[in-house]
Amino acid sequence: MTEILQYIPGSSVLHHLNPVTKLIAVIMIVTLCVFSPNLLFLILLLIFIFFIAVVCKLYHEFLLQLPFLGILILILVLITVLTVSSGPVIGHLIPCAVPIIGGTFPITFGGLLLGLLLSFRFIVMILTFQLFIFSTKPSELVRGLLIFRMPIDYVLMFLITIRFIPSLQMEGRRIHEAQISRGYNPGSGIKGKIKSLRPILIPLVANSLAKTQVIGLTLDMRGYRTKNRLLVHNDSYTRYDALTGIILIFILIGFIFQFTLL
Amino acid sequence: MMIQVQNLTYFYPYTSNTPALYDVSVTIRKGELILITGPTAAGKTTLCLAIAGILEHEFEGKKSGNVTFKGQDVKLYDGLSELNQHVSMVFDDADAQLIFTSVEEEILSGIQMRGGSTEEIRERMEHVMQVCGITHLRDRPPYALSGGQKQRVAIAATLAMNTECIILDEPTSELDVSATSQIISLLSALKNEGKTVIVVDHSLEEYRLVADRVICMEKGRIHTIGTFEEIYTNKEPVISPEALYKRNDLLPYLPPDGISPIITVKDLVKRYDTILALDGITTDIYPGEFIAILGENGSGKTTLVKHFNGLLRPDVGKIWVNGLDATTAPVTTLVRHTGLVFQNPDTMLFADTVREEILFGLMNVNELDPDAVILDVLSMVGLVGTQEMYPRHLSRGERQRLAVACILAMRPEIIVLDEPTTGLDEAESDTMMQLMERLQQSGHTIIMVTHNMRIAETYADRIIGMENGKITGDYQIKGGISS
Repeated sequence: MTEILQYIPGSSVLHHLNPVTKLIAVIMIVTLCVFSPNLLFLILLLIFIFFIAVVCKLYHEFLLQLPFLGILILILVLITVLTVSSGPVIGHLIPCAVPIIGGTFPITFGGLLLGLLLSFRFIVMILTFQLFIFSTKPSELVRGLLIFRMPIDYVLMFLITIRFIPSLQMEGRRIHEAQISRGYNPGSGIKGKIKSLRPILIPLVANSLAKTQVIGLTLDMRGYRTKNRLLVHNDSYTRYDALTGIILIFILIGFIFQFTLL
Repeated sequence: MMIQVQNLTYFYPYTSNTPALYDVSVTIRKGELILITGPTAAGKTTLCLAIAGILEHEFEGKKSGNVTFKGQDVKLYDGLSELNQHVSMVFDDADAQLIFTSVEEEILSGIQMRGGSTEEIRERMEHVMQVCGITHLRDRPPYALSGGQKQRVAIAATLAMNTECIILDEPTSELDVSATSQIISLLSALKNEGKTVIVVDHSLEEYRLVADRVICMEKGRIHTIGTFEEIYTNKEPVISPEALYKRNDLLPYLPPDGISPIITVKDLVKRYDTILALDGITTDIYPGEFIAILGENGSGKTTLVKHFNGLLRPDVGKIWVNGLDATTAPVTTLVRHTGLVFQNPDTMLFADTVREEILFGLMNVNELDPDAVILDVLSMVGLVGTQEMYPRHLSRGERQRLAVACILAMRPEIIVLDEPTTGLDEAESDTMMQLMERLQQSGHTIIMVTHNMRIAETYADRIIGMENGKITGDYQIKGGISS
């Protein structure tokens, strides 16, 4: 089974980083992404993230997502090209040679650039976040978020969301098998597809809801909501954390530098 | 005095006028091991929740009477954050209690909250993993474990917190014989450490020497309290794990003459990634047999039966079901011959009414007169009059029988049941099995996967033992159909 958004055990540098360092890095990279107007900066950032993934042996998960990311780029570029027109026209969606409708939907330089900019922003954000989730144990994640003074209820909500993904996948498969044993035959066409979701989705939702009470009580019994007793003990920072800090400073310098080029 | 419950009456919110607990009074001393038994919906879990203080602090609903924990009313504790220092509870849904990504992390999560040095924490973790027999699972993600393994991890995570009172709700429901006796001796060890242990379970023979007192509950009341000896005077033999797959006291199975088999399995091999789940299975099943496939958790029982309706296809080997090649025939064809009832009925129930639920399968096989069939199968499973009810409002035993009805409606010749008695009490299990006997008499072939030996010996006429993906024994009881 391929697991979506789950911690992948390993012993890479990223795995050994303090969760707080990783959180700071994620927040900073995501923020810089949003504010960077320069495509080159984003591409360099993306290369850097891929480099980290390769070093930490997590690139395999990234490669699996290439088709999805490709579709994302295509959709975003298409939308911006259709809706934004600025700068010189560099071509047409439907070539001019096509009779009657040819030459409509011009592709402008500004529209294309904005589309690519948006795509790369999203990709950098998604991959950074994933790298964080892949390399951080949920318990460390909770610890990191608590140090950031996130309210414990929100932290636990986040934890449970991630925890439910593989459970839903497995439960979904079990339900699918049970329905197939009753001769369940997924319908054809969009209407049939939607209709045939009911026998799968209803037990899936009902069974998951039935679990929530026990999950909540378990967390309470383990003391996750016990006040004034945050689990901030022996937080160790290593030289890798220092190194990460230095790299982040370089990225920040790069971010500022791109504005001087404008 | 550890726990004192006085005249406790409790109604769950939004339920009818029947109380979940009615005028319950009981005193539990420090260091006692108490076994709570009773049929489903007797109020066993509710009593546990009350003792742990969860009912008081986390549940709405009408309550009267009081619960005292260590001499102080549970109301006066500062919620679960204070109570969890003294009491911990293993809930019956093991899967929902496992939250983290590795077994080790799961167990650490409870201990780390309690402080202590890193060495102490590690030592504690290693200790509970060892006593629960899960050391080899430490790096595995809990959601990918088997039901029995999940249950043991949930128990370990609770024990790790080292509270003086431990409550366990049906901790052995998904465990096989050897794991069950491991858990019971573990509970006995906890008692010897001076802990107060409250366990909800069936009246298993292994509790005879371990439980100090037994509380029998029925319909929200305490029916009897006494020692195990007082309540269960007849000693029953303790079942050894070997008995699940190797028996010398039973006659070897002899195939009947002159009948051709309805299912033929030849040299079946099935692998999941690196695990060899089935290792060369060869057997013949004859029409009209009632077979129990017995074996420990992970012996390959469920994997084997999933091949009978095409849910799984073998890596190597051949299967014929009713003359069809089950290695290639489409699932939609095979399910008309082999009806597979899953362990948990909730994995299939989705419709708004019982009638619609059964109709779903009938529409899939293009039944011409569905209403007649629905009435017919409902009367077979004893659920007449529930047509318009919401399926999930039925009791667990009724839901299980509804699941059988849904399969029956499609008129398969072979009915396969995966652990049909899990989650059912003894009376419900017997109702279920009597239904299977009637179906056998009406000409169906019944194959049931189970680790419940009593059920297998009472109702089946052939027992196939499995261990590590192999058939280790094939026996007949009650004379079998050949006589």
